[in-house]
Amino acid sequence: MTYQSDVAATLLEVRDLRTEFDTRTGTVTAVDGVSFSVAKGERIAIVGESGSGKSAMAMSLLRLLAHPGRVAGGQVLLDGRDLAGLSERALNAIRGREVGTVFQDPMSSLDPVMKVSRQMVRPIMRNLGLGRDDARTEAIRWLDKVGIPDAARRIDAYPFEMSGGMRQRVMIAMALSCRPRLVIADEPTTALDVTIQAQIVAMLKDLTAEAGAAMMFITHDLGLVARFAHNVAVMYAGRIVEFGPVGAIFAAPQHPYTQSLLRTIPSVDGLRNTRLAQIPGLPPDMRRKPAGCAFRARCAVATDRCARDLPELGPRPGGLAAACWVEGGLTAAPVRPEPRRKPARIAPGKRMTVEINNLVKHFEGRSLLSKNRSVVRAVNGVNLRVRNGETLGIVGESGCGKSTLARLLLGLEQATSGEIFIEGLAQMIFQDPFSSFNPKMRIAGIIEEPLAVQRWGDRAERAARVEDLVAKVGLDPSHLDRYPSQLSGGQRQRVAVARALALNPSVVVADEPTSALDVSVRAQIINLLADLKADLGISFVFISHDLLTVRYIADRIAVMYLGEVVEYGPAEDVFDRPVHPYTRALIDAVPIPDPKLEAGRSNAPLKGDLPSPLDLPEGCAFAARCPMASDLCRTEKPVLKKHRTSQEAACHYAN
Amino acid sequence: MANETADIRQPRLRLPALSLPRDGVWGNRKVQIALMILGPILVLTALAPLLPLQAPLETNLRATMEPPSIVHPFGTDRMGRDVLSRTLEGVKVSLLVGFSVATIALVAGMIFGTLAGFFGGMIDRIVMTIVDIFLAFPSLLLAIGLVAIVGTGLVPVIAAIAMADVPRFIRLQRSQVLSLRSRAFIDAARTVNASQGWMMTRHIIPNTVAPMLVAASIASANAILVEASLSFLGLGIMPPAPSLGNIIRDGQTYLQQAWWISTLPGIVILLIAFSLHFLSDGIREELDPRARK
Amino acid sequence: MLDYALKKSVQLVVTIFGVVTLVFFTLRLIPGDAASAMAGDTMSGEALELLREQMGLNEPILAQYAAYLRDLVTLDLGQTITTRLPVAEMIGKAIPVTLSIAVLTIVLTVIISIPLGTVAAYMAHKGRARLDNLLTGFAMIVDLMPSFWTALVFLLLFSLTLGWFPASGMVSLDDPAVFLSRIALPVLVLSVTQIATMARITRTSVLEILSEDYVRTARAMGWSEFRVLFRHALKNAALPIATVIGLSFGNLLNGTVIVEFIFTIPGIGNLLINGINSRDYQLVQTLIVFYALLFVTINFITDIVYRALDPRVTF
Repeated sequence: MTYQSDVAATLLEVRDLRTEFDTRTGTVTAVDGVSFSVAKGERIAIVGESGSGKSAMAMSLLRLLAHPGRVAGGQVLLDGRDLAGLSERALNAIRGREVGTVFQDPMSSLDPVMKVSRQMVRPIMRNLGLGRDDARTEAIRWLDKVGIPDAARRIDAYPFEMSGGMRQRVMIAMALSCRPRLVIADEPTTALDVTIQAQIVAMLKDLTAEAGAAMMFITHDLGLVARFAHNVAVMYAGRIVEFGPVGAIFAAPQHPYTQSLLRTIPSVDGLRNTRLAQIPGLPPDMRRKPAGCAFRARCAVATDRCARDLPELGPRPGGLAAACWVEGGLTAAPVRPEPRRKPARIAPGKRMTVEINNLVKHFEGRSLLSKNRSVVRAVNGVNLRVRNGETLGIVGESGCGKSTLARLLLGLEQATSGEIFIEGLAQMIFQDPFSSFNPKMRIAGIIEEPLAVQRWGDRAERAARVEDLVAKVGLDPSHLDRYPSQLSGGQRQRVAVARALALNPSVVVADEPTSALDVSVRAQIINLLADLKADLGISFVFISHDLLTVRYIADRIAVMYLGEVVEYGPAEDVFDRPVHPYTRALIDAVPIPDPKLEAGRSNAPLKGDLPSPLDLPEGCAFAARCPMASDLCRTEKPVLKKHRTSQEAACHYAN
Repeated sequence: MANETADIRQPRLRLPALSLPRDGVWGNRKVQIALMILGPILVLTALAPLLPLQAPLETNLRATMEPPSIVHPFGTDRMGRDVLSRTLEGVKVSLLVGFSVATIALVAGMIFGTLAGFFGGMIDRIVMTIVDIFLAFPSLLLAIGLVAIVGTGLVPVIAAIAMADVPRFIRLQRSQVLSLRSRAFIDAARTVNASQGWMMTRHIIPNTVAPMLVAASIASANAILVEASLSFLGLGIMPPAPSLGNIIRDGQTYLQQAWWISTLPGIVILLIAFSLHFLSDGIREELDPRARK
Repeated sequence: MLDYALKKSVQLVVTIFGVVTLVFFTLRLIPGDAASAMAGDTMSGEALELLREQMGLNEPILAQYAAYLRDLVTLDLGQTITTRLPVAEMIGKAIPVTLSIAVLTIVLTVIISIPLGTVAAYMAHKGRARLDNLLTGFAMIVDLMPSFWTALVFLLLFSLTLGWFPASGMVSLDDPAVFLSRIALPVLVLSVTQIATMARITRTSVLEILSEDYVRTARAMGWSEFRVLFRHALKNAALPIATVIGLSFGNLLNGTVIVEFIFTIPGIGNLLINGINSRDYQLVQTLIVFYALLFVTINFITDIVYRALDPRVTF
């Protein structure tokens, strides 16, 4: 059965698409019978976690899958013409011309040894039948449209001479330049910072609408789609489990998976005192897909029938379609409110676990010939305090110095100047747990290492301590003699937490601890950290670009911009009443999983990129992107000072 | 995020003892093929004295330059010596050279490469300058030059070939250590104040061993080829002691009348080198799943 | 870039100085001395003393070293002991022969191996493994054949049996046709091995690049397979391939020694072997230094050119 909106005539119809990957361990069915249709000018979002088959599905449409992936069955009808049956040569006439594609990673998706002009002009010449000069003019026009400053000159730049955000703009200009009728955007903003993400999404929406093109937007971020999609397809284990208009999906989702996903996302105005809803378990291994519904092992309302029969999409209220045997999904079961979160015991008074005074870290590049050394000011005079039992959240875009600050706290880098006092021991949870483990060591050895290094106890005592830690982080003790490569991402991060806790630290620094994890696993780790924080009374420094998570878990928040703290205060205050224009812009850029709220938000994304930390401006570092900057801002650097009772901000025009 | 599920491996099954292993290094097809070639060669070489063959140095002037037959599977040479028996004796030399050179290069490379990579600074600069000087010579030419000075024979040949390989191994080990040093798990160990010795023995060295073994197995194949070349040029193992290189040299003059003297031992060299390469390929595939096709 | 070139130049000078020093002092390590080693058992005590005097072996070692460096810089390479010919002149005559063989081999290798490797990579990428396996398997075997053995087999086959190429005869640059016919077989022998190596490396590099994101971008823009392969993939692979060509020059030099010996071609390789056999250390020392200089200089040049051509390296 095919579901479609009745906006206009159908542009693309996908029927029973199947995609398989032949691996050494057997055939993986990545896309397992997907059917849907897209109307002319429609914006459809395909949402799913990694391994859900969403990208494989999108790449199958134009047969852009790399070997060993192959389309194993089904039809892809573009205006009634079946692309699945076309020859490679015939398909090349469609690629770029009829269907444009924007890929995930702008850093690797442009040819590094070809100028942008060479990559853009030739397809335009061929697809639109223009001469070289006209094609070049057309390319420049598109670059200008996507907001490349000085496009006529920049067109002859190489991709490496541009920032990630700029490259993604070039990708979009390329995809749109041959006036396609469908644009496939495969996670186009995942690799980008939140403010750039907001710019890119807004631009994609505007430009496709202007050109009358349809857009298929593939993402793992359910919140993001509320902003622009007409229709949403939610994929799980290679199948569409729910499909329908964006309003209905967010207002009254029908499939248990969609329902659970929406609950796991911390909200901007949500309560901080309840635990995050979490989906238990892991997505199924696609090599051994279970019979029946693939989600049933993680589903609260699964019945016997779910184990036997595979549910097909069926009509639901609100114009939705869901593939589930239980009508209404989780709403069929009595709603159990999530239990309250245990409050952290923050020691009153002035006892500080961490005290950072005027911390500066400069990285110097040396050159044999020239005398002027280039200096990167990664951390540029930071003052921060963390009380006993308190969680400090540090947010900011990449390059703001938050990770350098973490490394300084752990003593992994030497400060250029300034002081750090830590009462007790600091430990770290790294961003990518896998690379923070020695691949040749078993889990037990990894967790034991800090104890062994410190010669803590004897062998038996250490083994007992490891068992204890493993229980604390909710890991199955049978995993202890496995290797890191044999665990899933979530399990690995639990191991990382256990290792960080081994020596009873007074403060744990977590650098983007959930960014490498899937949405459904993320909540598990956040809940774990929140529990530990309450149970153990240790302080946390939680570094993340994910503002909603930081808001949920942190007591106080420091917002960093180019090596400096621009705003600091209690988490709720900073979020609900931001003082600094940069904080405001950051919060505005965060996608909210609610189309109604999204529609009411000022959708004016922050302009421009982060300036290079190589040559910082004289005045306020944010002045170049700030909507309220004046001459004062450009000449005089604002200092962090008190606003309201508990907040501090570095801005001449705060309040 | 992409490998959330991809990396979960199932615990390995225990297979019945007699069937061919299907998992691990022994289950790799390339390793199996390599061992199927190398195994018989090794067995024949070891059993050579027991085989009904003429002794390698025994001449028989009544049966010179006889083509391959049942009695002389590889034929006989100008002095009526059995080419197969000489070839097997040569294989012994080849394998000894290959094994010795690989071991020397491995040990020296591990020691100096680790020191240079781990401590950096002055040690690194001195070691790498010396390495660069040695790497300036094409390997065979370095060996030729050294043999020219030190003289011919088994030990000088091994030393000369190892001289060319050691710097390559130092370089490989150093680059491995350097890249490991910046890995996050070293940072993790530093946050608990692990000592330099701890990091070197627990984290760095264990992660460098496998690639070094792979390189050593390739180096042993190359050493066998270089020894053969030296002996062929008259700069390696000197006759009448047989080596694959000098057997081929002997046959060079009689190429038209007795093709077998030169060609058959050549095929044996090829088989040995081939199986050693296959072995290293197979080991690498097993250690690094990305190397698989 | 300039920074890099400067750093590399300093390194090159240090390496060359090290090579020269190493060769000089290693020769002085010979038991007895060079003169007695050279003389063998045939020379009387007086003659030996004269030889020592001639070679400057009676000077203090550092003075000898200084004189040696000065001679090298001024290309005053002395005379060979056995033939009494100026070393510089002998080497000067042999160099064009060896270089012709080397250059022809490189040209032939590049022309054949790069398209071959690229096509193999394309096949592998598309999952049409049979042809690729055949090609890579063949390349691996050829790559591992000892070059002297290949040379003998070729000699037997093409010269002695089929009679296509002369097996011996004068080699002189004066008559290009004769010269070419004489070096054809050696070039062929060397090329076979080099082609196998280069084709494998091209295949690996191109295959790696074919799975890059930007290749997918190019395909998504409707570029034809041919253009994707030769414009995008090969252009990106060209840079690493160039480096390998530079490095494999060492193997090529190794190979020239062997083929010159087998086909009796009067290049520097043959000169070297004859020098060793006649214990002419003056000649051997100079030749070894020359080989090393040639090799490091070629590597230095490929490295710099490689960097200069890569747009990612900022100036």
